[in-house]
Amino acid sequence: MKKKMVAALLTTSMVAGLAGCGSSANSSSVATESTGTGGTESSSTVDSSDPWANVDTSEHVVITYMTTGDKPTGEAAETLDATMEKLNAILTEKVNAELEIYYISWTDYLANYNLTLASMDGTVDLVGTASDWLDAWPNAKNGAFLELSEEMLQTYAPQTWASVPAENWELCKYDGEIYLIPEDNYAQWTNHGFIYRLDWAREAGLEDGVHSWEDLTEYFRYVKQAYPDIIPWDSDGTQYSQMAGGWISSHSDFVSIEGLSAGALWGGTKDDLYTVYSPYTTDTESLVEFAKMMKEWDEIGVWQTDVLNNTTSTNRDDYRVGLVAAEQHHTQTWTDLVSHTPANTIYDTDEDAETGFFYFGEETQNVTALSITHGAMAVSAGSQNPERALMVYDLLRNDPECYQLLCYGEQGVSWDLDENGMRITPEGYNSDTQNVNGMTNFWWGRNDDLEVKDATRNWEAIDALYAEYDELKIEYPYGQFVANVDNIQSYISNISEVHNNYMKQIAYGKYDGTAEEIVAEYQEALKNAGIDTVTEELQRQFDELYK
Amino acid sequence: MEQVVVKKTKNNQSFLQKVYRSRVLLLMCAPAILFFFMFSYMPLPGIWVAFVKYNYRDGIFGSKFVGLSNFEFLINSGKLFELTKNTILYNLTFIILGNLLAVFIAILLNEIRNKKFKKVSQTVMFLPYFISQVLVGILVFNMLNYDTGFVNGILSSMGMELWEPYSDPKVWPPIIVLVYLWQNTGYNSVVYFAAIMGIDAEIIEASKVDGANCFQKIRHIIIPSLKPTIVILLLFALGGIVKGNFGLFYNIIGTNSLLFPTTDIIETYVYRATMADFNFSTASAVGLYQSVIGFIIVVTVNYIVKKIEPDYSLF
Repeated sequence: MKKKMVAALLTTSMVAGLAGCGSSANSSSVATESTGTGGTESSSTVDSSDPWANVDTSEHVVITYMTTGDKPTGEAAETLDATMEKLNAILTEKVNAELEIYYISWTDYLANYNLTLASMDGTVDLVGTASDWLDAWPNAKNGAFLELSEEMLQTYAPQTWASVPAENWELCKYDGEIYLIPEDNYAQWTNHGFIYRLDWAREAGLEDGVHSWEDLTEYFRYVKQAYPDIIPWDSDGTQYSQMAGGWISSHSDFVSIEGLSAGALWGGTKDDLYTVYSPYTTDTESLVEFAKMMKEWDEIGVWQTDVLNNTTSTNRDDYRVGLVAAEQHHTQTWTDLVSHTPANTIYDTDEDAETGFFYFGEETQNVTALSITHGAMAVSAGSQNPERALMVYDLLRNDPECYQLLCYGEQGVSWDLDENGMRITPEGYNSDTQNVNGMTNFWWGRNDDLEVKDATRNWEAIDALYAEYDELKIEYPYGQFVANVDNIQSYISNISEVHNNYMKQIAYGKYDGTAEEIVAEYQEALKNAGIDTVTEELQRQFDELYK
Repeated sequence: MEQVVVKKTKNNQSFLQKVYRSRVLLLMCAPAILFFFMFSYMPLPGIWVAFVKYNYRDGIFGSKFVGLSNFEFLINSGKLFELTKNTILYNLTFIILGNLLAVFIAILLNEIRNKKFKKVSQTVMFLPYFISQVLVGILVFNMLNYDTGFVNGILSSMGMELWEPYSDPKVWPPIIVLVYLWQNTGYNSVVYFAAIMGIDAEIIEASKVDGANCFQKIRHIIIPSLKPTIVILLLFALGGIVKGNFGLFYNIIGTNSLLFPTTDIIETYVYRATMADFNFSTASAVGLYQSVIGFIIVVTVNYIVKKIEPDYSLF
């Protein structure tokens, strides 16, 4: 038997060796041979006729743009096709290229997104990405994105290059190379909070609406009692991190570092930004209180009993038609839900309906502005035509005609202008099939210079909140910080795992035993997973960068 | 007689001649050989990825070598023991109960005299095997969930207290084993049924003549004849004892961390931890760990079997 086994092992290793020679020669190929072509175009604007006069565009190419979102079907797809045809006619004329959209559907989007990037087979050229919610930096480090040299940007995306200030380009660099083109000229707020029915809050005795977590408890209790058919918040089991983070920022001056792990467990405080700590290990009392309150919510019946097994939720759409009483998401979503748009039928069926927003951090006035790489465009390292991809992007972002086609669709079909120059929906508009804005998902280069204000939005409420934010906010302080996690990745993986498992139980009040016990257990598990080691390492890297 | 023939051919024929002689047999084997070569042997060098810090652009063999640091993650988690234990215990239950039940069903099927009933019941038992695990997960959820589940629907209509399985980790091992048995027994029993069909009819005739009753026939003829089949299937199954049934566990339990103490197996843990960070290297490290353990177990068990009953061992 021994002989046989040795033979088997030997054969195996031989075959392995053979196969090893065969494979491997994939990837790499198209790196940065791009800059050579064309003359050195002096930035932009002056030469308005054709900035790419010297660029060879004789070959017609298809540029694929990858975005998260569900692929439209049926009539919606027809509307999109018609719009894309128009857009592609312009793109063909200007840069002899056309645009295709590659969708990463929302189910397991992050895994599929990363997997598509990892295949590097040239299926995608432009990649919509984000440093906080789409792993932009890990992918850049893994070699999925092409380094964008300054000459390259100047030559192929001159308008974008000129419009993004130098300090913002700095925030898009890793190891001295630019990887991302930031969406830095678009006002939006993506700090999370609870969107709720202001009219019902008033009925519950909260005259000015909800302004604290305790108010929320009262609100939910009232809703459950007064409207027994309504699930106050039909959450799926994935909101736990946002809830915990929201609680922390509502009860401390914690400012989190984004893009490290799903939980954003580390950060500094507003007064002391560059001393790293994790409130999840230090703010024990606060967490116990959180665990207690969530248990109370669970007992009230804020969410369904089996919420932890619920991975798909239609809560937002249910809110639009009045089937639920709250939605936990960010301000940008609130600006939609607060407005009497065609989709939000609660305002048609119930005259009194009003929507309020309780943002996390309201109690402690702890609001951090969005990092400019919350939306960004990158070029895939596997792209066959990185130059043309940049040219197309430059047009999409800066050419009014292209921008509006991509972002709003065809004028007269999907949108129109009213007498004030604001955006309205035309006669016979169907938001299910003609909302091109909701199909192209261009969140990686929106441009306030070209935005047409949406007349259906409730600007009064929105402007008021934005003004409030502007007074409170601090700028995101860690834009420059891209952590090197090579040595601590295994700790971070385990910590995320611990955090996810425990926080799910805590944030949905589904734990056994007392709040004190579960929090103690959670903190113990974090310690064992090495949270202190990670904190130390991050501090070391902080000191290197900021001191 | 056969042995003599083999010896003769060995002496007189060259390798090529032998190949030509058995060309039909070889041709029949070809698909299987090709399959294993392509999907089991070709990817083997990829094991290297478990020892590097994988970078998309440099590829598996161009990335930086980091030694065993990818294995640290599993050890650091402190869960290695619990996960391995869960995985092995579940698989052991699946193998033992699954095979016993399959043998039992096969014997029952064999005793059924009504041909139509036999065919129908065989098909019905066979069917669940072809249902996707995703659907099985949904079925289970719709049976058991608290608010709208089938079981609670019945309980509430009878005025009884509702059952909360999705908040109770203790009830899941039996549920998962049940679901597994429901899905796989029909399929597994086919092999045993075929083995029973292959038993020499003369022996059974003879036993009848000797006045053996039905149970004696089963006890002294059928079960002993099934023994080699059982042992070989058992050995095959043991090789995968550290490989958990990801589809089954992931679809039924999902991300409900409350149930993990009794239902988390290596696969589901690794899926969660590495899909979140998208780390191929650590995932492969775990795969390698499982393969090594599986290899050791197969070799050991085979050794033991060989000591006891040399004819039944695999190699």
